[in-house]
Amino acid sequence: MNRLDYLVLFATIIAIPLYGLWRTYNHPNLREYLKGDRTIRWGTIGLSVLATQAGPITFLSMPGQAYESGIGFIQNYFGQPFALIVVCAVFVPIYQRLKVFTAYEYLGQRFDKKTRILGGFLFLIQRGIAGGITIYAPAIILSALLGWDLNLTIWLAGGFVIFYTVVGGTKIVSITQRYQFLVIFVGMALAFAIAVYRLPANLSFTDALHIAGRMGKLQAVDFSIDPSKRYTFWSGILGGFFLSLSYFGADQSQVQRYLAGNSLRASRIGLLFNALVKVPMQFLILLLGAMVFLFYQFEKPPIFFNQPSYQRAVETGYGPKLNELQTQFDDVFARKRQLLQTAPTDPAIQQLDSRARAIRDETKKVLEEAGANPKSKDSDYVFITFVLQHLPHGIVGLLVAVIFCATMSATSAVLNALGSTTAVDFYRVFRPGESDHHYVIATRWLTLGWGLVTIAVASFCRLVENLIEAGNILGSVFYGSILGLFLVAFFLRNVRGSAVFFGAVLAQAMVLALFFTTNIGYLWYNLIGCGAVLLFAWILQSTLFRNPAAA
Amino acid sequence: MSHHDHPPFFSSWRKAYVFAVVLFAVEVALLYAFTLRFS
Repeated sequence: MNRLDYLVLFATIIAIPLYGLWRTYNHPNLREYLKGDRTIRWGTIGLSVLATQAGPITFLSMPGQAYESGIGFIQNYFGQPFALIVVCAVFVPIYQRLKVFTAYEYLGQRFDKKTRILGGFLFLIQRGIAGGITIYAPAIILSALLGWDLNLTIWLAGGFVIFYTVVGGTKIVSITQRYQFLVIFVGMALAFAIAVYRLPANLSFTDALHIAGRMGKLQAVDFSIDPSKRYTFWSGILGGFFLSLSYFGADQSQVQRYLAGNSLRASRIGLLFNALVKVPMQFLILLLGAMVFLFYQFEKPPIFFNQPSYQRAVETGYGPKLNELQTQFDDVFARKRQLLQTAPTDPAIQQLDSRARAIRDETKKVLEEAGANPKSKDSDYVFITFVLQHLPHGIVGLLVAVIFCATMSATSAVLNALGSTTAVDFYRVFRPGESDHHYVIATRWLTLGWGLVTIAVASFCRLVENLIEAGNILGSVFYGSILGLFLVAFFLRNVRGSAVFFGAVLAQAMVLALFFTTNIGYLWYNLIGCGAVLLFAWILQSTLFRNPAAA
Repeated sequence: MSHHDHPPFFSSWRKAYVFAVVLFAVEVALLYAFTLRFS
């Protein structure tokens, strides 16, 4: 990165929050601070919901995911449109009519205080940790590749967002997200255009797609019922439905976005907008990854994208072994490129691609042996390496700004929700009767406190899997139980507070036990947790808590 | 919360929901066509 890149980066990430602060500077009451001033229209809500979900992990990891495994990951989003329709039809009208500040406040009205606190508690644990991952994930990658200090990068991504979220509350989150998403859209579109433009001149876009398809990167839809396949149409529809229903219906970071709407209609249209644009948007991001893959069929890629880890291994005496692998990799790459230019339909290309992949796997093993094992998958470094090494100056700064904007927009929504939930579902419950101004101040302090917690989590967390999946796994472990609480509230009318409370505690314990002892695909935890709460609550209400006095 | 508090699933928004499902089905059909064309 040169001076122009830094200028673009800092101008972008500072200007948007400053504009947001200018637009929202006032002394809000609690309702304005938590829900905005009810002037927010459906377009802003739609973008805000989209930006809250699409954190930095989406833009860093997903192109790398397509580079490694193709675009089949898109199917994970197939359940989302159906979930959003259910949220529009069932959840939003109830939240709007009861004028609740948080989703868990509704649980208190429907059941009792302890169930409300349980719902809020599960959310706070899950989101508090996930918020830390949202900041840590881009920081570890950017700091490794740009040579920045990790803690400084974490503070750069997290510090500023804490400040403006504490000051401006929900309204500033919505306003800044709109412009941050604009930056993201422009940046990703430019990256896509440049990736296509940098393909060989004699290769048309359609021919390029055919090559990517033959190399197994473009299977978007797979109707297979083979349970060993990770991404299929069916797992996406079913698992994705429950994950999305939990996320959009019962996660305060999303509920708060659409409750900021100026009407029920605005909230619903904003959500339906997401139902329609999410799949095309994810498709384009994954297709960008496929384009980067194609680009690296003609331009030699590094044998291992996480070069700092690679260099550490070289410095610890593994240089000769790695050089040998590099020579083999160079040879395979040259032969593959030759074939792609002269005989692009030759089946030998796939064999050479498999060989190149095997060499990369061997390289990773050597890095593990050398103790230079990186904290995230190498695929997470693919897109940013492409950006830093092959895009022109200025646009590099813009793309790094895209990562920061995505981090800031997702983090601001999470902090806003964590602060609100703690204030409304805990602080106000245990300290009722204070003035509105008192609660606004308390919410600000609590938001600041959660900001520091997420920074602390980011400073200490160590990832175990792909960045996208770390967030999804964490969500899936807790979301099922949270969703179960809401589905019992909506659909099992005879179930009362104690039955659902203990049912949810049992269900959560069961999911955690399964998580630590089995290898069930993570999307299924949503279904298992949710189903278990419904079942346990119904059984407990029919047996132990049958007497209404006992409930 | 009484039974009447539950909004009817198919309210005046029914057309919007059906429209969203149809558009999503078109998206999936296009993705499948893309898969068949380029895989």
